[in-house]
Amino acid sequence: MRDSQIIYTEQLTKYYGRIAGVKEISFEVNRGEIFGFLGPNGAGKTTTIRLLLDLLRPTSGKIVIFGKDVKSNSFEIRQKCGYLPGNFSAYGNLTGKEFLNLLADLRKVPRYIEPGLLDRFGLANGDLKRKIKHLSHGTLQKLGIIQAFFHRPELLILDEPTTGLDPLMQEEFYDLLHKYQNMGCTTFFSSHNLSEVEKVCHRLAIIRKGEIVAIESIEDMKKKLYRKLELTLRKPLDRFELPGARIIKKQGLKYEFIVTGRKDTLLKSLADLPLEDFVFPRPDLEEVFMNYYRDQRDD
Amino acid sequence: MIRLSYWHLIWKNNRGFAIFSMGFITLLQFLILYLISTADTSSIITAIIEQLPEKLRIFLNDSFFNTLSFQGAAAFGFNHPLVLALLAINAINIPLHHITREMESGTLELLLAHPFKRHSFIISLWVSGCLILFTIILAALIGSLSAIAIFHHLSQEIITKMMQISFNQWLLFILIMSYTMIITTFGEKGNKTGNISAVLTLIFYLLHFLSQLWESIAFIKPFNIFTYYEPQKLMFNHGNFLTDISILSSLILVCLFISLWQFGRRDIS
Repeated sequence: MRDSQIIYTEQLTKYYGRIAGVKEISFEVNRGEIFGFLGPNGAGKTTTIRLLLDLLRPTSGKIVIFGKDVKSNSFEIRQKCGYLPGNFSAYGNLTGKEFLNLLADLRKVPRYIEPGLLDRFGLANGDLKRKIKHLSHGTLQKLGIIQAFFHRPELLILDEPTTGLDPLMQEEFYDLLHKYQNMGCTTFFSSHNLSEVEKVCHRLAIIRKGEIVAIESIEDMKKKLYRKLELTLRKPLDRFELPGARIIKKQGLKYEFIVTGRKDTLLKSLADLPLEDFVFPRPDLEEVFMNYYRDQRDD
Repeated sequence: MIRLSYWHLIWKNNRGFAIFSMGFITLLQFLILYLISTADTSSIITAIIEQLPEKLRIFLNDSFFNTLSFQGAAAFGFNHPLVLALLAINAINIPLHHITREMESGTLELLLAHPFKRHSFIISLWVSGCLILFTIILAALIGSLSAIAIFHHLSQEIITKMMQISFNQWLLFILIMSYTMIITTFGEKGNKTGNISAVLTLIFYLLHFLSQLWESIAFIKPFNIFTYYEPQKLMFNHGNFLTDISILSSLILVCLFISLWQFGRRDIS
């Protein structure tokens, strides 16, 4: 394990009875990095986060955060962590202010919230004086974000952080994340929203059925993508196939392919076709994700 | 180790029912003593009891014959089923709410993701629960002593006895809270763990009466927590205060240690 690694896991496994939550997952998150953790619901994202925070005890494997073993140093580690759970909920009987005061007391930090942090999310003092049970879902989520950030953590662990935020607030959140990153904060960002991971993360791990299927930088991930080809023929063909490409959709004379082979061979084949139009659309991460899953299924 | 801010949270979450219990129990204690002092209930109750079969009369000895006196009534106030029920609800609800229900709602996960050690959490919760039960019982004690001072004569002896009874009662309900804590640290679903604890307490209570009625099951008395809570006997110097509090305290400590051990090793999800 290197000094620059803030989170390091090795062969981490968690079983709930006979069901595996996560199986032998290994990854590391570097200092100052925003690390995306991508997977559909039930893939094992929340289990991994709870293991990192010592809320769940692993069946086997190793977790080291800030160079310390989580099992024996969880208190010290949690002092430096900000955590936003998925489906954030708080004590309904407390006001927002009382809730933040409680968390500040638990952390033994001053009961002070940077005004800029509240302004960014449009939270006025009036909102913080209202009981949490009377807050809307969006406002509650903003309160969740503030409680994770207000004590300036060295490591942020965020589980689906933009749930319930409108697009404007999502942008504010991404901006805040980058601001903290510039201050040296490391972020573990769990999401099933591929576009936001693409937007904010440097690297990502894809988790599926409790197993990590890929860990790569966003750029590398895109490079590895199966390119898509969309073409329209001028006239129908009896038997239409392209070498190094697989049809995924056909609508009249319009075809959509996934390019699986050499592009030069493909281009040569295209030259012989009665083409009306063709385009290689720029892939987004959604397609990487879907293609990756398709591949896994095919295997 | 004990977090005051967490105590504040627990008090805020439980104060509604705790204050209601304080008011209700204080009023009940006061009323019982008021009735005894203003009406000639003893001749009425004696006449009724003389008509009862002998076995039932033996059973009622502790709870009724002693009630005929002012001191007996003061002790009976601490053993009234409504008082016991309200205290039991408080004792069961505190760990149930703050462990199992908060685990279900996700707030416990958030709390323990902060620098809050699991054993600090359990001890803070336990101490807070003890304090809430203490305030309720203290209110009952004040209600009783006030009534005695108004309608009778408040002596040092009766103050001491009432304090012994209150302390004995406090320990009994701390024990109920402590074994509920064990059940909640092992349990998953809120209602289920609450029901288990309530049923267990009810079984103890019923067996306590049944073992007084039937000799054949009298051997279970030492295994029943209510055997070590004896307000009437304490009031009339028939009880064994030190034995009672020693046994209850030991059981409480055992329950607390099991809760600490189990909560420290379990998953929070």
